[in-house]
Amino acid sequence: MPPSQLKQLKASLRENGVLGPQKSKKEKRQNTKTGVGAKNRNQREVALQAIRDRFNPFEIKTINKSSKFDVTTRDGNTTAGGGARPGVTKSLGEERRRATLLKEMNSRNKVGGLVDRRFGENDPTMTPEERAAERFARESQRKMRKESMFNLEDDDDEMQLTHMGQSLSFDGPNQDDFEAGDLEDAESDEETSRKRKRIPDGDEDQDQDQEDFIDYGDEEQPGRKKTKAEVMKEVIAKSKFYKAERQQAKDDDEDLREELDKELPDLFEALRGVKPAAKPAKPEAPKQDFSEMNPERAAMLEESQNSKDPEKEYDQRLRQMTFDQRSKPTDRTKTEEEKVEEEAERLKKLENDRLRRMRGEQLTDDEEDNMDEDEIPDDDESEIDDAAHFGLPAYPTETRPELGVEDEDDFIIDEDLVETDSNASLDMGDSDMEEEEEDSSSDESDGPDGEDELINGMTLPTEDSAAASTVAEVSKEANGKLAFTYPCPKDHESFLGITKSVAVEEIPTVIQRIRALHHPRLKPGNKDKLGRFAEILVEHVSYMGNKTEQPPFAILENIIRHIHSLAKTHPLNVTIACRAQLREIGKERPLNLLPGDLILLTGLSTFFPTSDHFHTTATPAHLCLARYLGQCTTTSLADLASGTFAASLSLQYQQVSKRYMPEFVNYTLNALCNLAPTEPAVKFGAFPYRKSQGSVQLAPSKKVTPRKLQFRDVTTTPFDPQAQEELKISLLTTLVSLLGSASDIWAEKSAFTEIFTPVRAVLQYLRQSLKGKVYAAAQEPIQSTLGKIDSHLAQTRLVRRPLFLHDHKPLAIKTAIPKFEENFNPDKHYDPDRERAESNRLKKEFKRERKGAMRELRKDASFVAREQLREKKERDAEYEKKYKRLVAEIQSQEGRAANEYERARGRR
Amino acid sequence: MPALVTDSSSKKRKSGKNASGPSSKRRAVAEDNFAEKLSTIQELENQIAESRKGYNNIATLLSMLNVEQSAENPEMTVAVSLCRVFSRLIAGGNLTESSRAAENEKIIVAWLKERCLDYQNALVAIMREADAASQVAALTLSMRIVKERLAHIPGAENNVWSTGFFKDIFAAIIEADNGQDLQSEAVAKFVKEYEDVRYYTFTQMADYASTTRSPEILEILIKILQTCDEVPGPEHKFENFYAKRDTKNKRLVSANSHRKQAQEAWLAILRNNLSQSQRKSLLRMMVHNIEPWFNRPELLMDFLTDSYNVGGATSLLALSGLFYLIQEKNLDYPQFYTKLYSLLDSELLHSKHRSRFFRLLNTFLSSTHLPSTLVASFIKRLARLALNAPPPAIVVIVPFMYNFFKNHPTTTFMMHRSIRDKDLLAQVEKEGMDDPFDPNESDPNMTNAIESSLWEIVTLQSHFHPNVASIARIISEQFTKQAYSLEDFLDHTYAGMVTADLGVEERNLKKIPVVEYQIPKRIFTDRLLEEDGGVDSGPGCFMRNLWEF
Repeated sequence: MPPSQLKQLKASLRENGVLGPQKSKKEKRQNTKTGVGAKNRNQREVALQAIRDRFNPFEIKTINKSSKFDVTTRDGNTTAGGGARPGVTKSLGEERRRATLLKEMNSRNKVGGLVDRRFGENDPTMTPEERAAERFARESQRKMRKESMFNLEDDDDEMQLTHMGQSLSFDGPNQDDFEAGDLEDAESDEETSRKRKRIPDGDEDQDQDQEDFIDYGDEEQPGRKKTKAEVMKEVIAKSKFYKAERQQAKDDDEDLREELDKELPDLFEALRGVKPAAKPAKPEAPKQDFSEMNPERAAMLEESQNSKDPEKEYDQRLRQMTFDQRSKPTDRTKTEEEKVEEEAERLKKLENDRLRRMRGEQLTDDEEDNMDEDEIPDDDESEIDDAAHFGLPAYPTETRPELGVEDEDDFIIDEDLVETDSNASLDMGDSDMEEEEEDSSSDESDGPDGEDELINGMTLPTEDSAAASTVAEVSKEANGKLAFTYPCPKDHESFLGITKSVAVEEIPTVIQRIRALHHPRLKPGNKDKLGRFAEILVEHVSYMGNKTEQPPFAILENIIRHIHSLAKTHPLNVTIACRAQLREIGKERPLNLLPGDLILLTGLSTFFPTSDHFHTTATPAHLCLARYLGQCTTTSLADLASGTFAASLSLQYQQVSKRYMPEFVNYTLNALCNLAPTEPAVKFGAFPYRKSQGSVQLAPSKKVTPRKLQFRDVTTTPFDPQAQEELKISLLTTLVSLLGSASDIWAEKSAFTEIFTPVRAVLQYLRQSLKGKVYAAAQEPIQSTLGKIDSHLAQTRLVRRPLFLHDHKPLAIKTAIPKFEENFNPDKHYDPDRERAESNRLKKEFKRERKGAMRELRKDASFVAREQLREKKERDAEYEKKYKRLVAEIQSQEGRAANEYERARGRR
Repeated sequence: MPALVTDSSSKKRKSGKNASGPSSKRRAVAEDNFAEKLSTIQELENQIAESRKGYNNIATLLSMLNVEQSAENPEMTVAVSLCRVFSRLIAGGNLTESSRAAENEKIIVAWLKERCLDYQNALVAIMREADAASQVAALTLSMRIVKERLAHIPGAENNVWSTGFFKDIFAAIIEADNGQDLQSEAVAKFVKEYEDVRYYTFTQMADYASTTRSPEILEILIKILQTCDEVPGPEHKFENFYAKRDTKNKRLVSANSHRKQAQEAWLAILRNNLSQSQRKSLLRMMVHNIEPWFNRPELLMDFLTDSYNVGGATSLLALSGLFYLIQEKNLDYPQFYTKLYSLLDSELLHSKHRSRFFRLLNTFLSSTHLPSTLVASFIKRLARLALNAPPPAIVVIVPFMYNFFKNHPTTTFMMHRSIRDKDLLAQVEKEGMDDPFDPNESDPNMTNAIESSLWEIVTLQSHFHPNVASIARIISEQFTKQAYSLEDFLDHTYAGMVTADLGVEERNLKKIPVVEYQIPKRIFTDRLLEEDGGVDSGPGCFMRNLWEF
């Protein structure tokens, strides 16, 4: 049990020294003399106040009701308001308001006023004497300091003429020669001058640090102000000291360097390999020294070294050496078998990779990790587009009626495709064949250095100049007029400019030379240049294909092979160029592909793997072909030829991956129906039948035999009816054999029966209508394809089983067990949703702030009211006082008058 | 001074003057003529206004109209002035006979009436034949006369609107040469503006279209009707009248009668000989423009069922109207689903109405009370069609099927079926099986599709386009999603897919594209064939075998 209140009071009084042993009279007197008494009294007052506060139960706020269950409430352990002292806080608030709000109130509706900015005026800790002293000190200081650069009143030697930060005066004893190259000095000089300039506009604290700057070094007399002369002397002394130090360091470095210079010849010899024990650590040493040195000094050292020739040389060699790679132990030379095995291993791995890509599996995680970002759309969006999940655009990017192409019903007929020019020269230059022979050898080993194979004739000039010259000789013999150097073209126009004067047959040579001349190893910028060059070549292939006079395909092939080898080093560039071409096709001529487009699509299938599940270029190329096959119209034989080409190309795309392409089936069946001598009366299946705009029906005759189709057929239609018939029958046989290959490719498909039943019907119809009317050579492919399809159909029927797709493991039911948190703390928030937690926190804070602000405002308002009331009361009191005074005055006068009257009356 | 100048020079000057003069002179003369004519017209008009003696001037003015033989170059100023004259006369009551009037009075009135008729005929002729500006002016004048007559001649309502002048005006508007301006003016200024004009336009139209008309005329009628798209609601207040209304006539203020007239007009048009494209466009606006006018939509039944039976795209378009009738008006359409099933033909998925059809099909088949056999038939038919469909269509079909599988769990046997019968199993193992589905059966309840399996979709899982393939794959994965929202899949196109793959412009490719590791020896030519022993087997040999480059 605590002692009673009275006892506590007594104890605390004694503690604070309020109560104590009686002091003697002498002591008291002494105290009063020295003023200790007054001080003591003050202290006692304070202590007493504290005790009073402590023992006043109303000053301390207590909770009148203890919380019931500590566990259940969050606030249980916090003693809200337990130690609060409302009186104190209230008075503090009152005080603060008086200081701010009251002032504001008083100055309301008043304009102007004086702001006291004198030093220390608002600092209550300073006595007036101190203030005065400080002000005086500052003033004198300011006077002493230079006000501005152009103040000529005081003479001083600080101002110097400089050039590039170096002093121009030579009269000082300290201005040595070595200062000429002294960077640090220049810098420090600069710094001081900058600081000097800053002085005039500096305010209090900058002044303060200016003082620090000047005052460094002598702390012995902190109170005394130094005179200007003294300060300057100090500065000079300091700079001298530093300079001497620098000089010392420089001398040291000099010594060290000379020492090293002596060793240099040895070092050289060691490097040349005369001395076997070349210490690799040795050249490292000076460098380390360098790095340890302070950078200015290093720079200084370097500069002075450069001035001397041998030193320079040394330096250069040193630098060269640091960049040279140290030789490493080479691998053991492999035997032939090992090489072959390794190569086979590599090819096998690449093939496996391709297969995995074909199945759409993720490749090695190091390069595939950003794949997911592409595919998975943001789930945060309120409205999840189901289609977007499959990579389809959120909504059709183009509105329907824009192109006219959009509507599958309406087809655009374009006559542009019918070209009449029929003089495609197909002669082949001999000159490039030689080079072809040359690089054939390296073709055998498509190693990782495959990119070099196509330029092997022109090796890097620096490496093996002898070999290069011989090869150059050879090519010179072959084509004497060709230049040896070509600039790397920046765009297609400039490339056309380069090749303008060059015969078509020479273009591969030109490309080869450009590639050799701009080999990436020769110059750092060459890699980009060649990348750009690859893009140009892609453009050039379709450009060449579109020219009315078809270039020999050997040239095109060569260029495509060039692109391929460039694609190995610059895959991005080639991809971008191909995609640009495809985009152009898709935008401008989706339904009438030009020959150049077909060539490009063919070439594209060689340098990009068309078997991939998704490929940035091959997939759009597929789509382009499919769109063409699905929507193009047939107006002429040339259309049909290019369609057949596209169909065969699309089948070639699927040689490995064997994916199904509905457009191919639709197109070939349609084409066959259109080619058939009589229009079929019945529908053969689910494919939509589109009649060709111009008749391409075959007139069966025994005169013509099918031939192998030529690419020329795509561009030109023969005028001769005989030749036309020939082309028709060849197209027919080609299409039929395409269907045969398609049935081979898709034999494993589960819906083979459904796909190929209509095909069989069409073929049977063809056979029927051509029976006995054409050569057996034309009949034979139909017959063989029918046989093939029949056997496949029978096979499919045998292996057909009902689908058994949903043999999944049943999904686990979602659990709803709450998550158990160990060491749960009710004060902490366990919201897993960070954003929600954050917003909750902000909400709470906002609420608290709002409450606080409202409370403050309320208190302010009551304070203002109180103040106003007080003022009013004061005014009233004053008035009352005045009134009373006046009344009293009057009364007294009255009294006096009355008295006088009385007196006068009395007198009378 | 000309007198002082020598003869020759004066002659020259004169001749020169003569040579250069006439054009300006002629112009001046023309201007003079015009002013003169104006003043004459004005004078004549004033005389008419002043006294009855001036009435003869009406005949003069009519003759000045220049419409006797052909109305191609009418004098519109005369027409305007005549309009003023007649308006004044009508307003003055000079065209109304009173029984008590004297004989000569009656003669004058009869004569005036005749002249008025002449004038009206002249205006109609102008509307039919003149240039666009005159046509429009004549229309305004005619309508002005109509207004005056209605305002001042009692009992003229029937006369003017249904049988008389307005009928002629309407016919003239429809049949006018190069009448686009006239028609649009008439529609904008009168038909859309004034409710009584619209009402009587409908009446006239029903009357007009009751006889067989040419498709061009019908086109115009459809256009006019189509622009009147504000159907008055039951509590619509009819206030905006062009002419004074006979208060006894309640028809003009009832929404019902308005709609009835419109309905008649539409029906008359629908019964007329429409071209195929007109039929399609009418079907397209059926729900929004035509159906609201109808008090009894069931009257559309004939037209819709006829259209539905046409087949092809027309049937597709008739579907929505028909569905509305079935749903709202209790129309009994036997064999609706059979017909619907027959619409799923090879052209459907290539049609531009594809998405429209799928939206409707979704509504028709959304009921869970449909027999599973029927739903299965639809699924199987769609799967068959998908084998020849373009990617944008396949992309719709598969989620569509998914939703069916969710709604009709019995149909899921089409994806997953284990044969429990031992004998049957043995037989299947031995001989394989045929598809039990009968594609030629037209009744969707009898196709046996539910016994079949969706091999087609499994084939599409290896579609050449990766997105399509992955969509097709959803039917072999667990059905965790409640339903796919069909709207997201409907409106894709080739172009859209190309753009999705290629982007509008090149952005940074996130990963380095894979390049074929082996550079082929040959692409087009037979280069180095002898090294491989003369047999071309490298990549791309397929093309080289077929084509000669």
